[in-house]
Amino acid sequence: MSTFYVMVRKELRSVTKEKTIMIAIMIQLFIASFSSVILIGLMSFYDPDSIAWNANISIKVGVIGDADSPLVWFLRDRNVRVTPFPSPLDAESAFRAGMVDAVIFVPEDGRGVVDMKLFLPTSESRSTMILMVLKEPMKRYENYLREERGVHVRYSDIRGMPSTTYEFRYSVIIPILMFFPAFVAGSMVIDSISEELENRTLETLWSAPLSLNVIFGAKIAAGLVLAVGQCALWSMLLRFNRVPIRNLGLVLLFAAVIAAIIAVGSALIATYFKDRERSQFVYSLFILLSAGVSYLFDASPITLMIRLATGDYYTGIADIAVYGVLLLALLAAFLSVAKRLIAVPA
Amino acid sequence: MSNILTIAKREIKRLRSRFRGGSRLVVVLILAGAFVISYLVFQQGAVLSKGMYRVGMSPDGPGIHDSRFRTITVDRSTGYSMLDERAIDVYVDGDEVASRNNARSLYAAGALKQYLEKQELTRIKDEYEIDTAFPLRVEVNYIGNVTATQGIALSELADALTGTSLEPTETDPGATEAAQAMPESDTTAAVREQIRELESGNRLPEIEMEFTSDKEIIVPSLMSPPVPFAQVIIAFLYVLPVSFVSVFFTSSFMDEKIDRRITVLMSAPLTPLQIIVGKMLPYVSFSLASVVIMTLVLGGNLLLAVAIFIPVILFIFSIYLMVPLVYRTFKDTTFISMLAITVITSYLVFPAMFSGVNDLSLMSPLTLAVKMYRGESFGLREYLFSTTPMYFIFALSMYIGTRILNEEYLMGFRPLHRKVAEAIYLTIVRSRLYLSITLLSLFLIPIVYMIQLVTLAISLNLPMRYAVGGLLVVAVVVEEVAKSAGIAVLLENGVIRATKDILVLSFLSAVGFLIGEKLLLYVSLSVVSESMLSPALFSSGMLLIPLVAHFLSTALVCLLTGRFGIRYPFAVLAGSIVHALYNLYVLGVIP
Repeated sequence: MSTFYVMVRKELRSVTKEKTIMIAIMIQLFIASFSSVILIGLMSFYDPDSIAWNANISIKVGVIGDADSPLVWFLRDRNVRVTPFPSPLDAESAFRAGMVDAVIFVPEDGRGVVDMKLFLPTSESRSTMILMVLKEPMKRYENYLREERGVHVRYSDIRGMPSTTYEFRYSVIIPILMFFPAFVAGSMVIDSISEELENRTLETLWSAPLSLNVIFGAKIAAGLVLAVGQCALWSMLLRFNRVPIRNLGLVLLFAAVIAAIIAVGSALIATYFKDRERSQFVYSLFILLSAGVSYLFDASPITLMIRLATGDYYTGIADIAVYGVLLLALLAAFLSVAKRLIAVPA
Repeated sequence: MSNILTIAKREIKRLRSRFRGGSRLVVVLILAGAFVISYLVFQQGAVLSKGMYRVGMSPDGPGIHDSRFRTITVDRSTGYSMLDERAIDVYVDGDEVASRNNARSLYAAGALKQYLEKQELTRIKDEYEIDTAFPLRVEVNYIGNVTATQGIALSELADALTGTSLEPTETDPGATEAAQAMPESDTTAAVREQIRELESGNRLPEIEMEFTSDKEIIVPSLMSPPVPFAQVIIAFLYVLPVSFVSVFFTSSFMDEKIDRRITVLMSAPLTPLQIIVGKMLPYVSFSLASVVIMTLVLGGNLLLAVAIFIPVILFIFSIYLMVPLVYRTFKDTTFISMLAITVITSYLVFPAMFSGVNDLSLMSPLTLAVKMYRGESFGLREYLFSTTPMYFIFALSMYIGTRILNEEYLMGFRPLHRKVAEAIYLTIVRSRLYLSITLLSLFLIPIVYMIQLVTLAISLNLPMRYAVGGLLVVAVVVEEVAKSAGIAVLLENGVIRATKDILVLSFLSAVGFLIGEKLLLYVSLSVVSESMLSPALFSSGMLLIPLVAHFLSTALVCLLTGRFGIRYPFAVLAGSIVHALYNLYVLGVIP
């Protein structure tokens, strides 16, 4: 056992000494950051409500035409400041003077199609923003007009919160942060094993009183330690950013199990191909493949991770145990064939 | 040329020897699997949050066909008690939706609302006349804030409005009776178009012409976001094979190193450029072939796609060329490659997401590809804006590659920053010091720019106040390093000693940096907006003072290391403080 421990420490030192692990951590921080930029900047387009919810953007709108239209009330309800103007010219000069951000022409509701006109500034980013804020009141007005025409729209007043942010955080960011360390661990195991094989240092190690299983086991364990460490770090960062993970213990356990499966699998790949080039290539293809497969099926690691992290009622340790069994089977298979695989020339 | 082909052939031979027998079978199988899976995923569409919510449904509730929701049908009393026990997130009771008062349940209700509203639209569309189902149409007009021609522009709004009291379409007043026989009005056609988009909206690869018209017609409930997700994913698919192939490209150099065959190669009558080009050729050709195939499959414009993706391919390979050259161990290479691929992908994909929202998105050529697939046009200027930096980086990387492709450099095992310092030293032409230093800081601008961009993204994890502060600090430090690194390695290697040399080189470095900085700003502004800022950029005040500031801080850094033996990081820190004070002064924080 002590030789195993020494080997694990040696592996860990080789990563921490040259600070290469810092690069890996930076990558993940980078991915997480870019994801949050995407989240803030883009998902809000899909779900304009969340912008109005998150930021109190106040815009000023000039109205020409029917100033008693329900639309005006809906606009004011959304904190839009509405100024009625008697003529288009007044509205336009106010618009040019920057007193209003947009001008709406509201025709009288004459039971036919209501052709409203909206005047926006040419600046693309500003007009997009204004449109986003105006969308909800306009939708309410549209529903009002529908009711007037005898069309009842159901489910328009469900009490709820815009879910885009929530979904993105729990179904994209958390799985990325919890599984990426596993991916890094697999890569590390491949590098570590293929480096020994290509530089022919494995024979030396092997002839020392170390069994092959201890050597490989230590490499896998080192990758695992780093992966779990990173996951713990991310969960802390997430908590710091007010994204709490439910069932944190189970989430970390599951991340560890997946990291172990990937690490053992990558050790298998590395001992089969015996050089870094092919192993890394096959490995990354394989990861892509598994991600795709898990995307297609319901019972996939990604779904399980989402359910654990969001605190799903029916999900628990039993689901993780399935992957635990898979891990044990894979490990047993690897340990029994590793010796034979090594003996076969590349 | 024949030398290059020889190297290329040798490269292909090496690659083929890698995949023989059993390993070829494994790779072919996995590749085939990857294709099948990606095809299936492609078919199924993009739903990220599979099985996220649990929804209880009363027997008379609506059907839900969205993989985000797991539904169970239960009667009322069971449903409400399950809701209380947190066994389900929301309960749909006929036309009502009940939720709990906690975040998860409210989010689920929000998501369900979004889905059900869409279902309602489909129902209404089927049950009612289109004019009754969609009674509100909003015509969007854009008004420029041209102040100079105010007299003319002022009537814009009124002009657009005068038509409304009459018929909105250009039909004769008498033609209204014949309206049934006539084609539908503009707005109804637009509504139909948008309904069609709504119905196909769930699937991913929807490449079609956008509804283009001078006047944009919006139906509030059908308003779709301007985000080109599908097109961005397609553009990303183009980049994917290139990054896979590059694994072999990086390995190629490492192989040579491990077997020490590079010694043989270097002693052959070949120039470093021939070696690099020869090794790159097979992979670049393969990447190009994948671009061609993908465009043919997706039905894009082949010529345009090739023009857009050639610089992208060259850019990716130029980054990957640098990876094995500074590598020491396998793990290093893996991590640096990972970093490279992340940075490249985000640099390319991220701006493309904003295409149509902000013109700065043209920073990435993928935006051009997105435009191409959306049927939007772009000009030569946009093309040059997004691709010129890529060509530049490629040229720079090839140049550095040829300078550092020698045995001593490749075989040396040193800390990463030493490797970089050495590479900079080798890049500088000793007989043309002045020119080299000027060009060096000029060419480092794109890299500085990229690092600052990355920092910007990372800083968003912090609260706003710290983010801005941190960003300013990092930006200043990076700029100081970029300006002084060349001079510092010259000092270290004893090429220059005299104070006069240090000052002259610092000045030239400042000049180079300033030119690059202003050029970048000018090019961005000229594409982003026809603004009046451009002449102001080049007025004397805007040039002289920053030049002095750049010179002073760089000279300080170099003098401190060169003359007073202060360690480089500390010297950079001192220079950065001066630079930061100047920045704060310009920003008006310090009076």
